[in-house]
Amino acid sequence: MSLVTEVVVPRYGIAWYPWAVQYFFLIALSYTSLWVAAPGIILGKQHWLATSRLALLACVSTTLVAPVALLADLHQPLRFWHFYAHPTPWSWMSIGSFLLPLHLAATLLLAWLAWRPALKTRAQAGDGWFSRIAGWIAWGDWQVSRKIMVLAGLAALATSVGMMVYTGAEVAIVKGRPLWHTVWLPFMFVATGTIGACGLILVLNRISGLRSPDTNRQMLAIMVGACVAAGFIALTWFLDGANAVSGSVAAALDSIDQSAAWRSTAIEGGIAGVLLAVLAFLARRTPGRRRAFGWMLGLLALHVAWMFRWVVLMNVQTVARNSAGFHDYHVAFGSYGLTGIIGIFGLWLTALLLIELLVPWREASLDPQRDAPPAAPISNASVSAASQGAPRHG
Amino acid sequence: MDPIRRSLLGQMARLSAGAAMVPLSSVASAGINDQPARREGDPNKRYGMLIDLRQCIGCQACTVSCHIENDAPLGNFRTIVSQLEVEQEGTGEVATFMLPRLCNHCDNPPCVPVCPVQATFQRQDGIVVVDNDRCVGCAYCVNACPYDARFINEKTQTADKCTFCAHRLEAGLLPACVESCVGGARIIGDMRDPQSEISRLMAEHHDELMVLQPEKGTLPQVFYLGMDERFTKRPEAEPGIWDVINEAGKELGYEFGH
Repeated sequence: MSLVTEVVVPRYGIAWYPWAVQYFFLIALSYTSLWVAAPGIILGKQHWLATSRLALLACVSTTLVAPVALLADLHQPLRFWHFYAHPTPWSWMSIGSFLLPLHLAATLLLAWLAWRPALKTRAQAGDGWFSRIAGWIAWGDWQVSRKIMVLAGLAALATSVGMMVYTGAEVAIVKGRPLWHTVWLPFMFVATGTIGACGLILVLNRISGLRSPDTNRQMLAIMVGACVAAGFIALTWFLDGANAVSGSVAAALDSIDQSAAWRSTAIEGGIAGVLLAVLAFLARRTPGRRRAFGWMLGLLALHVAWMFRWVVLMNVQTVARNSAGFHDYHVAFGSYGLTGIIGIFGLWLTALLLIELLVPWREASLDPQRDAPPAAPISNASVSAASQGAPRHG
Repeated sequence: MDPIRRSLLGQMARLSAGAAMVPLSSVASAGINDQPARREGDPNKRYGMLIDLRQCIGCQACTVSCHIENDAPLGNFRTIVSQLEVEQEGTGEVATFMLPRLCNHCDNPPCVPVCPVQATFQRQDGIVVVDNDRCVGCAYCVNACPYDARFINEKTQTADKCTFCAHRLEAGLLPACVESCVGGARIIGDMRDPQSEISRLMAEHHDELMVLQPEKGTLPQVFYLGMDERFTKRPEAEPGIWDVINEAGKELGYEFGH
């Protein structure tokens, strides 16, 4: 036996910046919230309508902002067109670069069709510029059948599955980072994404003033399910490691063994996940608790989904591959760090507010041929009162 | 079968199968994350490097000459010599282990198939290069390389790596690191030419050669002679130099101008 000390070793920086965390976070919310929107908007379940409207808002806002974060993570953002000039079907990232615009187009088309009846109604309402803009967005008074909308929905679902597969595979195939190289990582992305989407919809349900009791119940139920699924995925991953199937577990245990920061991250992540599961399980049992604690659990769920991606994408990059210990990484203040993180959240908020301002998303319709209900005023109080009585849809 | 033998057999198979098989194999590569067809470079050659660790004195002449030749930014290196202090636990005797690192120009390079725009590719002579007019700087290859051989060059904002000094090889010169090595530890050459020095040395020391992280299946083409197997993986070592931090967590040691 001998003791080895590293004397000369270069400093290796991280290659993917916090932009990547923002992209993986937003795109996971995008495809999972589309699935949450599906029962109402695509399958036509009336009792799911309120949830679907919120989910559609969550989906469109995240789908709009995610590509910006992705573009920003390129060191040569203006060369993005190279993706399309040199298609590379054997690279997951190239496949993703073709899927992402399709996903963006399909989700925007679906949302547009769902929002059009209400936009047309607002266009007739004589509400000054709001009506004029609603008329522009509606783009004519023509109608499409529900069949077309269902087809658009199925197309969006197809691209969302593509997004799920590619974002998972893109990271999980990287053998060079043992912690990423496990088949369970993509499943964990989906489970934590679902947790985050439910959380986001709970938060939107509260701050939009909709306060739908159905939504609170449905989202907490799915969230508990997703927490249980995440627990099983984590357990299976760990058992794979114990049976020496996966080097990723050994790498994780090494990191926890060697680094106090990793130990505290593991403990914090574990506590947050278990706490969320237990609280969601307790809170979902009575309507009063759901109403009181739903949005707070929503915030915790968003924290869990975001932190999981931060640990996987940022912290894993600090694990040295050819030298001992861990690389120093501090979040810089500038656009490669803090400003970038806040900037993307700001952009997301802007997208949400613009949709809130210009689109009557609360009246999103299952059937683009039915008349939309009269446009609701934009103030929160009246909207929450109006939405209790669920707009007419048949 | 160990990777070196497999790699050698692969080389021989390719030689015996002849050039006629090359286009066929390029058509067959269609799966996701499979290696794409090689392009450019001399199809009759396969460059590789043999590093005789017994000759390395850790002077970093290779590091410096490479840095100057290839104009890498301060703090980034296409090649470097890792130095590790090894203390015998029983006797307290200390020895230094020197490990020159560079791109392994793997036969199964994980950095190549991940590139979304085919900016990084493997030439037919085995050299892995980056077209930095095409590179979008996504850094996927930087993460994919298990050897940390790649970095994002802050001047060009694109991926950068060792090219075996392809521009010098083409001019009939040796790579800067080979040229400057005082001990003659680095030997580069065409492994398909049985008369080359590298072929001769590889045949002579066949059973002693090792590569870095063979378990990754990357089939590295930088071979080490006089290697201790424990250093082919991430070293189980105390990180020494970056512990130069004061109470406030501020690093007191050498900063690479970041």
